[in-house]
Amino acid sequence: MLSSFFYTLKEINQTVSKMALKGEYAVLETTNLKKMFKKNVAVSDVNLYLDKGESVGLLGPNGAGKSTAISMISSLVKPTAGDVTWHGKSVVKDPNVIRMYLGVVPQDIALYKELTAVENLRFFGRIYGLKGKALESQMANVLEIVGLTERKNELVKHYSGGMQRRINIAVALLHEPEIIIMDEPTVGIDPQSRNYILEMVQKLNQEKGMTVLYTSHYMEEVERLCDRIYIMDHGKVIASGTKQELTSILSSEETIWIELDRSYPDLAAELNEMEGVLRVTETDNGIKLITPKNSRLLGSIFQAAERQQVQITSLNVQVPTLEDVFLHLTGRKLRD
Amino acid sequence: MKSIFLLQLQRLRREPLMVLSMLGMTFIFVFFLGGFKTYGQLDVPVYLDQSMNEEEQDALLAKLNESESYVFTETDQKTAEKQVALGDAAFAMKGMSDNYRMLTAADDPNQVLVDQYVKQIYVEKLRLKEAEQATGDADYRSKVEAALVNAPITLTASTAEGESTSGGYSQRNHFLFGMTLFFSIYTIIFSLSKVAEEKRTGTWNRVILSPVKKLHLYIGHLAYSFMIGFLQIVFIFSVFRYGFDYEIGDNYGMILVAVACYTFAVVALGMLLLGLVKSLEQLNALVPIISVSMAMIGGAYWPIEAVSNNVILGISKVVPVTYGMEALKGISLGQSMSTLAQPLAILVVIGVLCMGIGINLMERKV
Ligand SMILES: Nc1ncnc2c1ncn2[C@@H]1O[C@H](COP(=O)(O)OP(=O)(O)O)[C@@H](O)[C@H]1O
Ligand SMILES: [Mg+2]
Repeated sequence: MLSSFFYTLKEINQTVSKMALKGEYAVLETTNLKKMFKKNVAVSDVNLYLDKGESVGLLGPNGAGKSTAISMISSLVKPTAGDVTWHGKSVVKDPNVIRMYLGVVPQDIALYKELTAVENLRFFGRIYGLKGKALESQMANVLEIVGLTERKNELVKHYSGGMQRRINIAVALLHEPEIIIMDEPTVGIDPQSRNYILEMVQKLNQEKGMTVLYTSHYMEEVERLCDRIYIMDHGKVIASGTKQELTSILSSEETIWIELDRSYPDLAAELNEMEGVLRVTETDNGIKLITPKNSRLLGSIFQAAERQQVQITSLNVQVPTLEDVFLHLTGRKLRD
Repeated sequence: MKSIFLLQLQRLRREPLMVLSMLGMTFIFVFFLGGFKTYGQLDVPVYLDQSMNEEEQDALLAKLNESESYVFTETDQKTAEKQVALGDAAFAMKGMSDNYRMLTAADDPNQVLVDQYVKQIYVEKLRLKEAEQATGDADYRSKVEAALVNAPITLTASTAEGESTSGGYSQRNHFLFGMTLFFSIYTIIFSLSKVAEEKRTGTWNRVILSPVKKLHLYIGHLAYSFMIGFLQIVFIFSVFRYGFDYEIGDNYGMILVAVACYTFAVVALGMLLLGLVKSLEQLNALVPIISVSMAMIGGAYWPIEAVSNNVILGISKVVPVTYGMEALKGISLGQSMSTLAQPLAILVVIGVLCMGIGINLMERKV
């Protein structure tokens, strides 16, 4: 009697999740995700979602909590509070609901460096249950994608940084995941390799329809790759939306780039006092001003430069970037 | 599980240096400490006084050499003094008709034993002499000697460097067992430290995210380091048994069981250490400290019988090396199954405890 009652409940539950599969839930969603290490809050109240085929960016400076958030999403780390759901099912309760469908590219090169690329791929393929012809053809596939077919028999430790990054990605693609989560996959490599990887991710997303969660502290990367962006700082999502939505936060402002032959603190100080200037940031070879739109300050800037006997090499009025958005929201630069 | 195990083998094939060097070290140390000399016998140079005639001298030497623990070699006074002065011999003996002297340069634990042994011979000799004079029976001595052959009580002497009753547990065996068990600790724990390395590089997490069960991941690693340790010990024993005629006992099955129990306990201890440390560096720093102190306390360097400090004896009761040595020594002496059961059971208990606590600690870390 009692057991049949529970059985009915279970059935209802199943019906609910079947409805969910028809599109009521996002592919992946986090609700009030929080992680504390002892007394330090690494991630708090993160709510984000990914729809099928979307490419979503997680942008934030070092220590923002991106990797911690990803670890919880991919079921490696249990959240202190909150939940992660995959097609409406809790990943926290049962990690297996997501694992087969998920490819994770860790921030560090998580490979056996004393083995060759092929040996690494074969091992990771096997533990995902691939074998025989299927394994070999999948290996050939991912090697092709990351462009390492020619050098597949070399030891990973003899690879360049860029090649290691690429094989690190290849391993995550072996079992043909529905979603791939990448944690700063371009850190510390040459521009060419970086470009290769970005193009590769774009292809995976656009041609193979793979859902992508891309983490980075380079705003150019997420600007280029992602449909939507979450900006994180100090463990919190401080803004989110499409690039247009985000930059429209600053639509009432504009950025003036003053390029100089070196840094002139006195000029920066004078500009900071100037009426109508919202924020001044010094860079290595110039000064960046954020001002209200159409503030007509150019004349005053030239006069100030004249007074300080500073040679302006170029001057540029810019529409806001994500970098500016971050600066606006936090008062800091993305990369310090 | 099989993949994890095979992967470790593949990695070993690429970087075999650590395991090979531990093998090499064991061989070097066993040879160096116990390989070349016939141990268990202590050489004592003797020079004899003119107060004895040739017959008496021969009789004394024969009497002295009755023990299997010592070899008394006759030499002249000059050579003996030189040997002691140069440290070639720890001490020498001067034999006189009714008395003797020990010539020493430095303190040596064996000197007391030799001294006691020689004293006993002289006391016996003097007593017989007295009795001979008292009874006036010139044959008295030979009668007594004949009776002594079937004596109700005999005294067995032992040196501080290992018991040496009737061709049994020799110092050579002791070094073989001790050094093998000692160096295998390194091999086992360093093999297991691949777990810490994998956690750091992130390959551990990759495997966790795969359909491989965590239990199987652990078993794969544990089985690998168990196998490496087990094979290393068995290989070394085989080489010394068949290559150098070490008498490690005839019960090979029992030796394998003892080695397996010991290896299991050390693997488990490695797991406990892995659970305790925060980083691979900490583990690497800890392993030499742990293994050297365990070897010292557990009697891998010198016999546990030579230790009298109660604290150290107490600690030795929880150290796997103690029981590994005890079991191997027992087997080499042909002890019965029931005597061996105790150390082996304790090894298994230590293993189970360390493994349980170790894995728990590991899993508690984020
Ligand atoms: N295992 C950990 N133990 C303690 N603190 C941690 C741990 N992992 C991360 N943190 C802390 O959490 C914060 C977020 O780190 P992380 O998620 O790595 O940031 P990001 O990936 O954005 O650079 C940092 O302050 C970091 O020091
Ligand atoms: Mg990170």
